[in-house]
Amino acid sequence: MVSFIGRSVVQKTITLFFVSIVSFLIIHLAPGKPSQVNPLNPKFTPEIMERFRKEFHLDKPLYIQYIYYYRDLFTGKTVSWKDNQPVLKKIWDRFLNSLPLFVVGTLITWTLSFPVGIRSAIYRGGIYDRTATFLSYFLISIPGFFFAYILIISVVTHLHVPVIGMETFGIGNGSVFHVINDRIWHMLLPSVLGATAGIAVLSRYVRGQMLEVENQDYIRTAKAKGLPAAVILTVNFVSAILVLAGTFISDLLYLVADPRIRL
Amino acid sequence: MNPTEETTTTQMYTEPLLAPKRTRKQEFMHLLGQNWLAGLGLFIFILFFCCAVTGLLLTSGSKPIFDPAMIRLQEKLRPPLSKPHLELLNPEQIPPLNVYLMGTDDLGRDVFSRMLQGAWVSLTVGFVAVGISVFIGIFMGGIAGYFGQHYIKTVHILFFLCLIGGIGLIIINSIFAGTVLLLLSLSTLVFFFPSGHGSAEKEPPVLKSILMANAVSMDTLIMRIVDIMLCFPSFFLILTVVALLPASIYNIMIVIGLTSWMGTTRFVRAEFLSLREQDFVAAAKALGIGNFRIIFRHIMPNAIAPVLVSATIGIASAILTEAGLSFLGFGVPPPHATWGNILSDGKNFIFDAPWLTFIPGIAILIVVLSFNLFGEGLRDIFNPKLRERH
Amino acid sequence: MIVKRVLIFAPIFLILVLLQSYFWVPTYKEQTRGDPARLTEFIAGSIGDASLLNPILSADSASSDINGFVFEGLIDRDKDLRFRGRVAKSWKIYEEAYFYVNPSARIPGLGKADARTLASFMKHAQKTSSVANPDLVHTLNRITDISVVLPRTYTVTNSIKDSAGNQQKTIRFKVTAPARIKLVLNQVDQHLFQNLLHLLGNDYFKSFRGKDYLKSDARLSTEQWTRYAKELIPPFEQNPVLLFHIRPGVKFQDGHAVNADDVRFTYEAIMDPKNLSPRVSDYEPVKTVQVVDPLTVKIIYKRLYSPAMGTWSIGILPKHLLDSQALKQEALRLGKDPKTFSIRQSTFNRHPVGCGPFKFQTWKSDQYIILDRFDDYWEGAPNYHRYVYRIIPDILTQEMEFYAGTLDSYDVQPHQVKRLENDPRFQHFSGLSFGYTYIGYNMRRKPFNDLRVRRALGMAIDVNKIIKYVLYGQGERITGPFAKQTDYYNHGIKPLPYDPEGALKLLESAGWKRNKAGRLEKNGKPFKFTLITNSGNDLRKAVLAIAQEAWKQIGIDVHTDVLEWSVFIQQRIFKDDFDAVVLGWQMGIEPDLYQIWYSSQTHPYQLNFVGFKNKEADDLIIKIRQEYNHEQQVKLCHKLHAIIAEQQPYTFLYVGKWTAVLDKRIVIKRVDASGAVRYEKITPTKTGNYTYYFNRWIKLPQVPHLTDKG
Repeated sequence: MVSFIGRSVVQKTITLFFVSIVSFLIIHLAPGKPSQVNPLNPKFTPEIMERFRKEFHLDKPLYIQYIYYYRDLFTGKTVSWKDNQPVLKKIWDRFLNSLPLFVVGTLITWTLSFPVGIRSAIYRGGIYDRTATFLSYFLISIPGFFFAYILIISVVTHLHVPVIGMETFGIGNGSVFHVINDRIWHMLLPSVLGATAGIAVLSRYVRGQMLEVENQDYIRTAKAKGLPAAVILTVNFVSAILVLAGTFISDLLYLVADPRIRL
Repeated sequence: MNPTEETTTTQMYTEPLLAPKRTRKQEFMHLLGQNWLAGLGLFIFILFFCCAVTGLLLTSGSKPIFDPAMIRLQEKLRPPLSKPHLELLNPEQIPPLNVYLMGTDDLGRDVFSRMLQGAWVSLTVGFVAVGISVFIGIFMGGIAGYFGQHYIKTVHILFFLCLIGGIGLIIINSIFAGTVLLLLSLSTLVFFFPSGHGSAEKEPPVLKSILMANAVSMDTLIMRIVDIMLCFPSFFLILTVVALLPASIYNIMIVIGLTSWMGTTRFVRAEFLSLREQDFVAAAKALGIGNFRIIFRHIMPNAIAPVLVSATIGIASAILTEAGLSFLGFGVPPPHATWGNILSDGKNFIFDAPWLTFIPGIAILIVVLSFNLFGEGLRDIFNPKLRERH
Repeated sequence: MIVKRVLIFAPIFLILVLLQSYFWVPTYKEQTRGDPARLTEFIAGSIGDASLLNPILSADSASSDINGFVFEGLIDRDKDLRFRGRVAKSWKIYEEAYFYVNPSARIPGLGKADARTLASFMKHAQKTSSVANPDLVHTLNRITDISVVLPRTYTVTNSIKDSAGNQQKTIRFKVTAPARIKLVLNQVDQHLFQNLLHLLGNDYFKSFRGKDYLKSDARLSTEQWTRYAKELIPPFEQNPVLLFHIRPGVKFQDGHAVNADDVRFTYEAIMDPKNLSPRVSDYEPVKTVQVVDPLTVKIIYKRLYSPAMGTWSIGILPKHLLDSQALKQEALRLGKDPKTFSIRQSTFNRHPVGCGPFKFQTWKSDQYIILDRFDDYWEGAPNYHRYVYRIIPDILTQEMEFYAGTLDSYDVQPHQVKRLENDPRFQHFSGLSFGYTYIGYNMRRKPFNDLRVRRALGMAIDVNKIIKYVLYGQGERITGPFAKQTDYYNHGIKPLPYDPEGALKLLESAGWKRNKAGRLEKNGKPFKFTLITNSGNDLRKAVLAIAQEAWKQIGIDVHTDVLEWSVFIQQRIFKDDFDAVVLGWQMGIEPDLYQIWYSSQTHPYQLNFVGFKNKEADDLIIKIRQEYNHEQQVKLCHKLHAIIAEQQPYTFLYVGKWTAVLDKRIVIKRVDASGAVRYEKITPTKTGNYTYYFNRWIKLPQVPHLTDKG
């Protein structure tokens, strides 16, 4: 066990190291050099640009820049090009904004996809199953940017309430309950949008898992012994949820980091 | 179609435990007919394919019948099915069907022609990108699954690191350091070949034992590479590369392909791992059949089903990715139309010209949905465990 | 069965919780009607967030929007674009000029002369009307004082870089400068020394051997000697002077009075290399900034530089919050190294203090910036209590928020104008923007080096149609490089006609003929090139498609490419690797065209990337830069405009119009001397600036009866 954990830690560290190099290279390769200078503004002479480059070590070779980057990262001195704010603080601020979105999104995903998936599995091949299949593929297939536009426009033009931002602009002095509900409302649309694909995928997954478990010998034995269907279903459900929970942590990180859910 | 009726008929066929009455193909068609969603998906897919091919024929060439780049500024933002104002147009500007089937966009270009042209783009992007990713996926997954237990020696890693580093350095113009690294990598080649007879008696030198030590198994290496690739949000990766390379449809296909092979690799590896232990493989090995024959004749046909399923669904997501890229303005350069850039050009006019958003949006939805449904159907059909339970 | 219940009730409960929040959200109606405080705040929408709220550091438009409210400069432009005093009450522009006495030169009618005789000779010439040359009379009349500067000896250390640009070498020079004559002129005269030659003899300055007065141990080539002599003791020197009198009683928002030290501090902060100010190039020609007394500041320039005046509209920084002492304290408080801590790192940039009409309140990144009015503003506090800058990154969302009444202004897109114009709730303004769109040709490449080809390409494009359909009429044609609403623009120049036939004829005279397939070719080679632009700008993309189509009509095979901005700039434009490009320039009011059109600016990474080289134009560009007289400058600009329009290095397409839409209830409130209140409709100034009286704006509960100004 210990050796397994040890080996896995070593492997992950090496992987992380390579990830750091590759991500550094990608950022470097990505067009757009970090600086506040707009090269097409006549006020910026090449000399000023040169000075900016020097200040931010952009004139140094790549590996030196890499070392600088990690020195700054670990000493916490990373500073944004744009406005001289500490980067970690900026990321943390925005993370705090994304977190509730993600939590609500995950809640919606998990609470909705289990009932749907389980019911599909029980009535496999029936109308309900086919409809659920169709709907979940519909949600996977709809282009997010298109769907979001339609949703925003219809909410604003038909319900006449704001949907953008984290809160209604200038709500500051309402009651706490008011403010909280206002926040929830503003979270609703983006988290539902973020959850659509999740619901579709997870409900399919639950369905597959249930069917998988149903075929296992111990369930067959239980059935043969005449255990009530509800107990079997529960066992079935718990084992499915355990399998899925394993993937939860990685999903969590992935959803927070993946820009596609914000597309 | 009444599903309950279908189910009963199947039971009738599967009950007697005899040799299958139908060929594989018949069985396939039968199951497809039974799963009407998948059938619908296939039908739409075929329809889409025909549209794309006719679209290609009708919109390309120097004097195409439907010219998707023809600008008629005076006819901008006409709604679908409206008749052109003939008095405002030069003879060569008149649309061939004498009607704007799907309206015109903000520069007065015929949306129908643009959709036709875009269909071909979507189709090729889907197929080429997935082709690339499946190819890489099968290759990597196959190696990881079949040769997974083979170990790579330190010296091999050293060789490749030096080689890649050297070439990289030469590319970025530090010739000297690059050459040194390249020579170093050549020098490690010495260790590749076992030094033969003498070494068995002597205690091997420390350096050599380190170099020849088994560092990492093939399987671990490949799966770690997969991990690394999965660490990056692929959309960001694609954006970076697309911004760097000149905008062209081929680059986009290749990039999408190169960033989406990880799933297939995992599938294929899992499939190979389990198949490798099966009796028929052991039998083949006992008969002395070569590794490659075993892989391609015996294992691959059994492993191809999940790959096909994931490829079908992969096409759907490749089409979506391309549309997303075009939507963000990183797609194919104008005046070439894709569904994504029709949508992106049209979104500013959503109040004045909603068809510019809805037509491409719904087209993407339908095509992607058809691929997904078909893929899902394939999965059911190929899954014998689920099939027999009907 | 618990499982089953949980499975069914959990999602239902969650959905209910989420959906009930709808009933708590204030609708747009409640937000705009129900809140009386809404009338006292002005909410503007912006696509992007500000970065640094410091006028000397920021370069993006969002930051300058906010800085314009929080900070105030010495001067700004009034409604006719003339300078207007803000922090400065009044100012004076004059010139100080020096020249070294050349003992070896023979002055006509005087012979060799020393400083004292020369000075009295000149004074004499000024008085007597015997001088024949009218230019010289003109110049002499401008001189108000002639005095002698005594010779002096001093040492200078110069550090130089070798050709690699790294190793520093220092050279010590001993300078024994001869006597100088100092002239003071009541206005700047760029022809001063040229005209003085009529008095002093043609060779007076040319024969001055500066080298003789330099001594150094270092070994230098003759070339280097001449260069250093020119640098250290130039034969003559012209120093324009700006003298600003600061308005007494102007206060920063923290109560400190604004004085001359703050002005000097602002200049020093810009020039401090630690601050990396992007505005250095504007202030590089400044020699010194002297504080004469607390309310007078004297700015002396190294050389003639007529755009200088305009640069003093920069916001004045409070010295007491940002000088080295204050920074040191802040660095210690934040636990940073005081040695490397500069204004750039200071928290001031997120909590600015200036002397403008609004005072900074809060800034929530990517959400909003709130400014409150500054009650002690010297011109009287604005009517709005609050200015809010909301960041809404999507144009469509901005439009929806505007309709809902939660935004007072936003950037209206051309296609939205028609809709808003017809809406009775709104008043709208429009005017020309300071910038134009063009197609630039790489004149280093064939066939664009041929004027006929450039003209023909321009004539093949129907610009009026682009304006009518793509811009929805929100644009005007432009024929040259100056802002159309300024005097510098030459309205006498006719735009290129739309004439594809004529274009074909021109091309034929240049050797391009149509082949059987209708394609143009010359000596068997087809006419073929690539037109590029950057992604993210829909108008440019439309122009790209239209130009391609138009050129295809006359048989040119055009390939197009839309590139991501930084790739476009760094790889293509700045490496001069393009055939033709659709691009736009943002312009200032100053007619300085040096960087975009001067022939020395054609190297990679410089802005004359089309490679325009024209002797006459070069000469005019320099003269415009040195001319302080507005009428003279206008004349020179008109000439330059004509030359550039003739040469067609660009196909000048159009200048866009901005449109602003406001609620009709927003009006100007005027209080006359008797205290009577009058409401006026907002009218844009001659140059189209509708926010000119922003501080007097007020939003009323109903649309009032307006007294028209007539």
